[in-house]
Amino acid sequence: MLKSLTRPRLDSVNPNPIAWVKTAILLGLGLYFSWLIISGNLTNYINQRFAWLAVVGAAVFIGLALVTIYGNLRADEDCGHEHFPIGWDILLITSLPLLLALIVPSRSLGIEAVNGGISLSPVGVASQAAFQRSPLDRNILDWLREFDRAPSPAAFNGTAADVVGFIYREPAFAEDSFMISRFTMSCCVADAFPIGMPVSASQAADFETGVWARARGELRAANFGGDVMPVLFAESLEAVEEPRQPYLYP
Amino acid sequence: MMRLSASHSAGPSLIKPLMTALALVFFLGATGYQAISSGIDYSLVVGVFATRFLGIFVEAAPFLLLGSITAGLIEAFVKADDIWRLVPRNRLAATVMGAFLGLVFPVCECGVVPVTRRLFNKGLPVSLGVAFLLAAPFMNPIVFASTYIAFGFGPVFIGRIVITILVAVIVGLVIGGFAKPSAVLKPLAQEQDHAHEHQAPPSVRARLLQALQIAADEFFEMGRFLILGSALAALMQTLVPQESLLALGTGSVLSVVFMQALAYILSVCSTVDSFLALAFVNAFTTGAIVSFLSFGPMVDIKSTLMFTGVFRPRIVIYLILLPFMLNLLAGVILNVALGY
Repeated sequence: MLKSLTRPRLDSVNPNPIAWVKTAILLGLGLYFSWLIISGNLTNYINQRFAWLAVVGAAVFIGLALVTIYGNLRADEDCGHEHFPIGWDILLITSLPLLLALIVPSRSLGIEAVNGGISLSPVGVASQAAFQRSPLDRNILDWLREFDRAPSPAAFNGTAADVVGFIYREPAFAEDSFMISRFTMSCCVADAFPIGMPVSASQAADFETGVWARARGELRAANFGGDVMPVLFAESLEAVEEPRQPYLYP
Repeated sequence: MMRLSASHSAGPSLIKPLMTALALVFFLGATGYQAISSGIDYSLVVGVFATRFLGIFVEAAPFLLLGSITAGLIEAFVKADDIWRLVPRNRLAATVMGAFLGLVFPVCECGVVPVTRRLFNKGLPVSLGVAFLLAAPFMNPIVFASTYIAFGFGPVFIGRIVITILVAVIVGLVIGGFAKPSAVLKPLAQEQDHAHEHQAPPSVRARLLQALQIAADEFFEMGRFLILGSALAALMQTLVPQESLLALGTGSVLSVVFMQALAYILSVCSTVDSFLALAFVNAFTTGAIVSFLSFGPMVDIKSTLMFTGVFRPRIVIYLILLPFMLNLLAGVILNVALGY
C-alpha cells in the first residue's frame, strides 16, 4: 500500500456500497458535530466546559472519513481495512444519531423532562468564588447553596434576588406560588438534575407552567409546602427567552 | 481478508435480539407513559428522549474515538512478543498489574473496551485484561482529581480506590480461572492477530494508515453497542421517575443496592460521576455513595452492550453480577463499620 499517490484506476475503486455508506456515516457525524459547535446547539447537550471534546470528535470523524475514502479508492492494494464484515444492521444502528438529529428539532431539557419532582438542595461543590457573588448576580444554584449553609431560613430576609428559570408547579402549591427552576449539568444531559427555589407572586396565575421567566423581588422566610424556607416574593415577573446556556453548571 | 470475515459470525446474531428487545421496551414504555400521563404531548416525550440520547452520545463518542485510535495503534505497532515479555508469570501479580494499568493507558469506560479487545488480541492474559477493563475507568489521574475535588481526602476517596482495586483483582482472578481464553472471549478477539502478523506492512507511515483504518472499523464495531446503550439509558431516564427510585434508598443494604442500580442506569462518564454523587450525599449512606462510585465505572448499560462484542454471553453475565455483588458487599461492610 501507499506505493503511489497517483490517481486511482477505476478498477481499484471499492464497488461495495457498504464501504461507501461507512464513509458517509463518518462524514455525516463529523458534519453533525461541527454543526452543533457552530450553531451553539452543543450547549443543549453537554457542559460548555467539554466543548473541546466535540471539536476533537468532529476532527476525528472527518479524518477517519478521509482515511476510508483513501482506502475505498485503492481497494485492491489494501490489506488494512474491512477487518469486520460490517453489515447493514450495524450501519443502521450507527446512523441512528444522525437520523434522530435530522428528524427531531434540537432543544434543551425543560419542564417536560422533569420526571418526579424538583430538588430544593444544591448540586455539586461550590468554588469560593460562587459565595462571593453579589446577591443580584446569584443564579438559582448559587441561592440554594447559600440557603444550604445559612444558619436559619430567616437569614436572607429582605435580600434582593433576581433569577431566571422555567416555572414548575405541583398540585399542592398555592395559587400564587410556584418554583422557578433550572436543570443543572456537570457533564452531559445524562446527569441533568432539576433544582428550583420557591417563588410567591401575585401575577403567578398569568404564567403557564414550563415557560421561562425572570423573577425579581425580596427573599423572606415563609411557609412553603409545610416547611419554613426562604421564599422569593417577586415584585416583578416577566416572560423571557430561554437562555443561550439553558443549564446551570455546578 | 476472507479468512477474517469467516471467523466473525457471532456479532450480528446477537444484535437482532437486542434490537427486538429495544423496540419492545420502547413500545411498552411509550404506551405505559401515554396511559399514565395522557395530558402530555407525545412529541414532547420523543423530544426529551432525543435530547438525552444525543447528549449521551455526543459526550461519549469522542472518548470512543480516542479508544478506537489507541486500539488501532496497538494493533499496528504492538507485537504479541512485547506483551509476553512485560507481563509477570505469576497470575496474581499479573492481575494486580491489570488493575493499575489504567495509569499507563488513561481511558474511560467508553474507550477501555476496544483497547482491552486489542490487547487480548495480542495475547494479554484474561485475568489481567479483565482487571484492567474494570479498574481503568477509575484508575486514572483525571478521575482521581475529580473525586478528590468533590469529596476531599476521606472515606469516599480512599474507599473508592481500595474497593475498585479489590473488586477488579478478584473478578479478574475468577474469570481468568476459566480453563482456556476461548471459553471467555469471542472468536474474533483471539484469532485475528496471527492471521494478520505475516502481512504487517513495513513502513511507519503505512502502519499509521492501517491503524486509522482499523480505528474506523472499531468505531462501527463498538459504536453500535455504545449507541444502543445510550438509547436504553436515555429511555430509562425518560420513562422511570427518579422520585419512585429515591423512595427505595433507605437502610444500610437497600441504599447500596439502589445507588448501584442507579449507577448502572444513568451510565454517567467516570470523569464526572463524583459531582453527580454529591447530589445524593445527604439522602444516602456513605457506603452507598462509595459503591455508586466504584461500581458505576466498571459496568453500566452502554459498557454491558460493548462487553457483548468481546466476551461470550455467559462471561458478560459474570462481568455484571460479580462486580455488583462484590461492590454491594463492600458498601454494606463500609456502612456497618461507619455505624449506619
